[in-house]
Amino acid sequence: MAEIVLRDLVKRFGPIAAVAGVNLRIEDGEFLIMVGPSGCGKTTTLNMISGLETPTSGEIRIGDRVVNDLEPGERGLGMVFQDLALFPHMTVFENIAFGLRVKKTDGAEVERRVKAAAEAMHIGALIDKRPSECSGGEAQRVALARTIVNDPSVFLMDEPLSSLDAKLRLDMRTELKHLHHRLRATFVYVTHDQAEAMTMADRIVVMQGGRIEQVGAPLEIYRRPATRFVAGFFGIPTMNFLEGEVAAGGEGDGPAFRSTRVEQPLSASTPTDVAGRAAPLGVRAEHVRLVPSDDGGGRVTLTEPLGDETLVFFEYGGAAPLVAKVDPDSPLGPGDPVAFEFDREWCHLFDAEGGARLN
Amino acid sequence: MADARSRFRHHRRAWVRHAILLAWTFFIVFPLYWMVSTSFKGAGEWVSWPPHWYPHDFTIHNYRQIFTFSALGEELSRDATDQAFSIWKALGDSLLICSVASFIALVLGVFLAYAISRFAVGGSKFRHIILTIRMVPPIVIAIPILMYYAIMIPFTTEVLFGTRIILFDTYFGLGALYVATTLPFVIWMMLSFIDEVPYTLEHAARMMGAGRMYTLRRVVLPLVASGLVVTYLFVFILNWSEFLLALTLTHPEVTTLPVLLNKFQSASEGRLYGPQAAIGTVITIPVVILGVLIQKHLIKGFSFGMIRK
Ligand SMILES: Nc1ncnc2c1ncn2[C@@H]1O[C@H](COP(=O)(O)OP(=O)(O)OP(=O)(O)O)[C@@H](O)[C@H]1O
Ligand SMILES: [Mg+2]
Repeated sequence: MAEIVLRDLVKRFGPIAAVAGVNLRIEDGEFLIMVGPSGCGKTTTLNMISGLETPTSGEIRIGDRVVNDLEPGERGLGMVFQDLALFPHMTVFENIAFGLRVKKTDGAEVERRVKAAAEAMHIGALIDKRPSECSGGEAQRVALARTIVNDPSVFLMDEPLSSLDAKLRLDMRTELKHLHHRLRATFVYVTHDQAEAMTMADRIVVMQGGRIEQVGAPLEIYRRPATRFVAGFFGIPTMNFLEGEVAAGGEGDGPAFRSTRVEQPLSASTPTDVAGRAAPLGVRAEHVRLVPSDDGGGRVTLTEPLGDETLVFFEYGGAAPLVAKVDPDSPLGPGDPVAFEFDREWCHLFDAEGGARLN
Repeated sequence: MADARSRFRHHRRAWVRHAILLAWTFFIVFPLYWMVSTSFKGAGEWVSWPPHWYPHDFTIHNYRQIFTFSALGEELSRDATDQAFSIWKALGDSLLICSVASFIALVLGVFLAYAISRFAVGGSKFRHIILTIRMVPPIVIAIPILMYYAIMIPFTTEVLFGTRIILFDTYFGLGALYVATTLPFVIWMMLSFIDEVPYTLEHAARMMGAGRMYTLRRVVLPLVASGLVVTYLFVFILNWSEFLLALTLTHPEVTTLPVLLNKFQSASEGRLYGPQAAIGTVITIPVVILGVLIQKHLIKGFSFGMIRK
């Protein structure tokens, strides 16, 4: 009942289009995360859904109502802000009670619901404190409780974890996921942190320059990025890219990717019409195999042990060094000559012009 | 050695600084002292030469004179004056006009400042233009306003409505002018406070269904409460000590304290410095108290205790 549909949504600020035509259907009850680099229009899109920003054109529907002309408070949404926006002059109790007070809920009811929301967020003990007396994590919970208490069917969150320290952020991720499970409400969540998106989302919307680049489940986006931008945005370390072209397969062997230094056989399923075109090849570090070899053409420049695996950066004569993930017990060290090979099933080909995926 | 020398130099600098500050303090405080001490002197000591640095003949006669409720009796009029210069009427007028005019200016100014801060009403430069209104010397407007209050408005209203509305020498006339002249200050000061209230607080309130007025009342105004107090006191003091407009635009019905102060003279003895000094002292006391209050609030002023700041 709380499905949200955005149709041809546009928002201009003077000459620049912060959001340049967004079409999106947000399913009831899903955890949808919008992710993208700074300035790509995530906040603007979210604010148009919330009603804090008026679209230049396009339509927003929540359930079966067009809400373009509804006040923010009439849309049945709850929002958690980046700076939390707790009222500094009110106690935690009054902060949480604010929405109920606006609706003139009677005192006993307010008391009961605020207590319940506070308990649910494990902040029952803080109820008489001021926001300034709460730690970052506690303030975060207060902000969530203040939203939960109004029982919205949709939660909008704009980078709510960005001001927490790294450890706390990880804990809150898990907690938000639990919360989503428990409430079964729709979550629309904005972040520029791709790891946050990967770990929490049911579906991810990747935005760039006011447009949607790709919508999909986290693994789908990781495994089959629709554009070169998405491929580069997701994954740590960043995907390796090599400039070159695709050669048609001869007899006996399939198509291959060729650059001045590299000849890489491609999966047999590579579309035939790609042959002969210039097409950058992308391959993730975990799909690069390294073997010590004197005539492989590669030379290790740097290793970064991560514990469970080790990143090996190596030169191969191309524009930028490549990176591979190897076993942490690998004996490779800086200066060692290596041969490298890519897993042909995991080679991504992109259009040299627009960056769209080709295979 | 170098250490000792630098410590010596440090001490000497502190010494010089304190000497200068002490001299300056003396310079500022002496007139105040003179006013207070004169208020306790008898008529013979007011202008004696060489000056009496302190009241040789300590008396509270001046205070009894200005605070009397009745016409001056035998005893009070003896060595000073035969006129009743009671302070009560002027004190009441001053309190009434200043408190009401300051309050109205505050209410109007808060809403104007809110609109300017949030919606950039009047364009982005408007906030800087507001104060230029105050660059006009009061004397420039005093006389033209007198013309309107005493002639144009009564004449026009008589022609149009058949009744003569006179603003000259009325509470409303002077009060309205006080509102107008202090409004720029209120807007200017409240702008700096309201600008400090993060916009997302209002967004949060709106998301929870609060209307503009509710948000203003429950979120914005409580957060600028210190600012409201400081601004009110500041404007109150301005009005409290305003002289020129009151002198020009009132007489004999409405009298504010600064005007009364100036009128304090008698036919037989010239300026009555003693009662004048007593009134001066009485007028100053509230200002000093308010000043102390402002100081406390100024310190509190902007530290809202925002989270993450
Ligand atoms: N009120 C405004 N006036 C003018 N330009 C704006 C306004 N709000 C946003 N913009 C512009 O619109 C673009 C998108 O902004 P938006 O805040 O949606 O980005 P974002 O994706 O949320 O970025 P971030 O990750 O930094 O929060 C930016 O180029 C920004 O400069
Ligand atoms: Mg943003």
